[in-house]
Amino acid sequence: MSLGYLTRRLFSVLLVLVIVSFAVFAITMILPGNAAVMILGEYATEDQLLALAEVLGLNRPWYIQYFEWAGNILQADWGMSLRLSLPVGEVVGDAFWNSASLAVTALVTVIIVAIPLGILAALYRGSKVDLGIGLFAYVGTAMPEFVTATLLLVFLAGSAGGYLPAGGFIAPNESFPGFVSHVILPAGTLGLILMAHIARQVRSEMSDVLASDYIRAARLKGLRERTVIRRHALPNSLAPAVAVISLDIGYLLGGIIVVEEIFAWPGLGRLLIYALENRDLPVIQAITLLLAAVYALSNLFSDLAIAALDPRVRY
Amino acid sequence: MIKSLKQFTKTHSEMVRGMAVAVGLAAVLALPGTGFAQNETPKVGGVLKIAHSTRIATMNVLNLSGPAEYPAIDMLYSGLTRIGMDNHPHPDLAESWSANSDATVFDFKLRPNVTFHDGTPLTSDDVVATFEAIQDPARGASARSVLTMVEKVEAIDNLTVRFTLTVSYADLPVAVAHANARIISAKALAGPKENLENKPNGTGPFKLESYDSSRMTRLVRNDNYFIEGVPYLDAVELHLFPDLTAQSANYLSGNMDVLLAVEQADYDRIDKAPGSNALRVASGRFVNVVMRFDQKPFDDVRVRKALAMSIDRQTLVDVILEGLGRPARDNILSPEYAYVIDSPEIPYDTAAAKQLLADAGYPDGIKIDLVASNRPAIRGQVAIAIKQMALPAGFDINVKSMPHDTYLANYWRKGNFYMAYWGMRSTPDGAFTLLLTSDASYEDTAWNNKEFDAIVAKARSTPGDSERAQLYAEAQKLILRDTPYIIPFFQDVLTASRDGVKGWVVHPLNRVYYIESVWLDRN
Amino acid sequence: MSDFARHPAGVAGAILLTIIALAVLFGPLVAPYDPQAFHTTVRLQGPSADHWLGTDQFGRDLLSRLLFGARSTIAFGVGATMISVIAGSLIGVTAGVVGGWIDSVIMRGLDGMLAVPDLLFVLLIVTMLGAGTGEAMLAVSIAFTPGMARISRSSVLSIRTREYVLAAVARGESQRYIILSEVIPNAIGPIIVEGTIRVSFAIMIGATLGFLGMGAQPPSTEWGLMVSEARQFMYRSPWVVAVPGLAIAVAAMGFNLFGDALRDAFDPRRSR
Repeated sequence: MSLGYLTRRLFSVLLVLVIVSFAVFAITMILPGNAAVMILGEYATEDQLLALAEVLGLNRPWYIQYFEWAGNILQADWGMSLRLSLPVGEVVGDAFWNSASLAVTALVTVIIVAIPLGILAALYRGSKVDLGIGLFAYVGTAMPEFVTATLLLVFLAGSAGGYLPAGGFIAPNESFPGFVSHVILPAGTLGLILMAHIARQVRSEMSDVLASDYIRAARLKGLRERTVIRRHALPNSLAPAVAVISLDIGYLLGGIIVVEEIFAWPGLGRLLIYALENRDLPVIQAITLLLAAVYALSNLFSDLAIAALDPRVRY
Repeated sequence: MIKSLKQFTKTHSEMVRGMAVAVGLAAVLALPGTGFAQNETPKVGGVLKIAHSTRIATMNVLNLSGPAEYPAIDMLYSGLTRIGMDNHPHPDLAESWSANSDATVFDFKLRPNVTFHDGTPLTSDDVVATFEAIQDPARGASARSVLTMVEKVEAIDNLTVRFTLTVSYADLPVAVAHANARIISAKALAGPKENLENKPNGTGPFKLESYDSSRMTRLVRNDNYFIEGVPYLDAVELHLFPDLTAQSANYLSGNMDVLLAVEQADYDRIDKAPGSNALRVASGRFVNVVMRFDQKPFDDVRVRKALAMSIDRQTLVDVILEGLGRPARDNILSPEYAYVIDSPEIPYDTAAAKQLLADAGYPDGIKIDLVASNRPAIRGQVAIAIKQMALPAGFDINVKSMPHDTYLANYWRKGNFYMAYWGMRSTPDGAFTLLLTSDASYEDTAWNNKEFDAIVAKARSTPGDSERAQLYAEAQKLILRDTPYIIPFFQDVLTASRDGVKGWVVHPLNRVYYIESVWLDRN
Repeated sequence: MSDFARHPAGVAGAILLTIIALAVLFGPLVAPYDPQAFHTTVRLQGPSADHWLGTDQFGRDLLSRLLFGARSTIAFGVGATMISVIAGSLIGVTAGVVGGWIDSVIMRGLDGMLAVPDLLFVLLIVTMLGAGTGEAMLAVSIAFTPGMARISRSSVLSIRTREYVLAAVARGESQRYIILSEVIPNAIGPIIVEGTIRVSFAIMIGATLGFLGMGAQPPSTEWGLMVSEARQFMYRSPWVVAVPGLAIAVAAMGFNLFGDALRDAFDPRRSR
């Protein structure tokens, strides 16, 4: 894989982020309310609203606001949250790590569970195992996160089940067991749909590969089934699985919004909802850019991983 | 636990009758919250965990209004006076006050040796600076509307503040007990706004230890609090659960000690759960239907009355409040207010309503949009219920729900038919001048009734009790005659605490909590 | 297409979809009650003879609300997807056929829009447009268009070099003829498959928006909104949450299964 390819891809990521930043800015400019209205709420008179808007710099023309903001970003100054009067970098930064811990936990669990499930289903195709896994996969994909989250809350947490905490967050460095007990339900909710996707994808690719010619050839050569699977089937079916994983990161970033809200997880998702409700422009922009960057970079990473796994792909 | 509220006694003005009256209730344990028999000895120590569901976005006491922000600043800041559960103003930072014979000049004497959390001493300059900030339009202070009669605030000496009023106003001690009129240091007011929002420096029983608005705010005991022996608690933590299910689950599992605001739907379950005690406090807060006088169709009082008769108030209380409230009869004053009169019952009679509409020139009924913001959700719920109930009378109501800021930007005080939501005020004058007089701070019905304005202004400066009662009775009769708002019910304040938490109460105004009197008995 | 019937997943999907289609078309006609009418004496009850699926917090009949809500929920998903399919195909086919710098510009733009995860994109647009069913539908179609454009474009690109197209070019047919008679009929397969699966996502996103209060507004009977309003009453009657929640899941599953079966049917390469 050439350095030129890598450079071009990185440049394209940057370009995309610029477009996204502009689009987000444009969108939020059209909002009917503004941060001053939300801050002062019903205790506002016209003059107070104008005064606060002036203080927050909301009355200047949009292009001035945009370029000032863009210029600041390049100097790593993300501005001040209009609603919380705290530096955006601090607020978003904290939220980012919290979301990351949740997302990574979900992803790791999913990979550990889903890939073997998919392989199993492919190996025992047509059997009850396959059917069972298939059913789980379909039901899993069809339940929106807020339904899954609510059901898990009712049955496994709080007063009813009493085992797991019903939402809330403890940082891993504060207390690791505490973190684990709080992360189980939200990560499980997020993971359910992902598991379904990935298991299905692995199963389908694996089935194809198992039926292909070179696998037949490997078997005819007299290799043991286990070697056949490990050295020939797996690597070739994993490449598309990696592709699906990276696509699912996009889904994950969306799912995090609802799951964090329901489980009171202080991450980017919850912060975003709060910022949208309160028209907190700097925070909305920062989060959107951040999530877009994560998504774009994960796509790039998965392309590289596919190239590493599949020698037929050349960049 | 206090389960009933004593009536506002009609004695505010007694304090200012004739010559100067000194109210020196500077007893050591002058705790306005302890209305219950203290036959148990409070234990010192422990951390109280409070669960809430709306973010503490700011600690700027001048203009905050969030339901979870009030307990925070009630712990961090003190005012000149503070409302007690008996609805009298009690000394807080002012240990006594006196007024001249016509209640136009008040002197407040501050307690000596009070320090802010950062160690700086409290002087009358801080009080002056605070009230000047409150009156400054650029600050957007919520207490401004109850202090419009204050002409001048000046420091007479280090510990004495003089308020000069434009009119006679016997209730000034009540007005300065406003939850947003807490005393801020002059230094903080002169400093950057961010400090007011994030680094509150008050004189209250607790001081801020950490503040993460997305998760938890932690306050610890102020060892230099000016009342000896309190607070009992070592620390208080306010935990945010934006999701109501997660919030109540954490409370019921014992993870949290207090559930700040209980939802109507959950009240019964939370009351019956082992180890949990729910508390309902009758309050004068309400949802109201705003109908503008200067536009069709509500320019005709018969249409207003028709709608008033098309609402089954008891059903609203049963279904939306789950019985945790009282039906109201369009009088803005709930039974707890001083000088309140009995309002005649308004029957749910859609046939009569239909007839009234026909008389007013709408024989085929009226088709109209009713706007409801989605915050709090109860506005939309009441709107939907009204839509159904008023259908047989010929009202074809289309409920338009929308995000809160769209409502604020486009409909509040502009639209001709929408749902509003207001908390209780300390006095009838407070309620009238907030919403109903022509120059009310948040006037939105275009009622502009000169007679009403005159009565309210006169009552303000009338010290005599029975004269006041008469004036306010006339004012209420005008309200009942013209129906500027439809007020279908008064909503109780609902809260809950676990066994082992002693002294947890909420004032009907829903802004004062007396957490310095709370103690934990965990055995 | 005969192998379609042999696949239980596809058959299951078809059955579910038929039930849903019936609910959408005839739901309001067969609903036993007015979905907005209050029956305050029987609030929060489970299934009974009078109310087959129980009642909600206002005493409204859940079955009736479900049947009326099928339209808002499903039509939302189908409508939003159809708009994005049409818009996306137009853009994608144009890009694929025309090629050149127009293609590059369009692709850059699409990449930009695809860089933002679906729900996030929808939330941003809905915040701008305001909450409401129409606005939410527009937001979802806008968010889905780039994906559909991508698929139709790559579909067109792969077809462009097929023999039947080259033959048509050799014959001297006009570009319009080629597009209409050769490219589109063959490109449609993957587009339809993707579209069907997308409907299930659109339904779920629509329900999520309703849940967050940014989509359908009360007193709409959209299923996501029903779940959101019912959550605080969950402990008193699990039916208020379970009924609309399962309905959403069933609808999404139906479209998913059917779409997968379509994909298998259309693609002769895939071994089953």
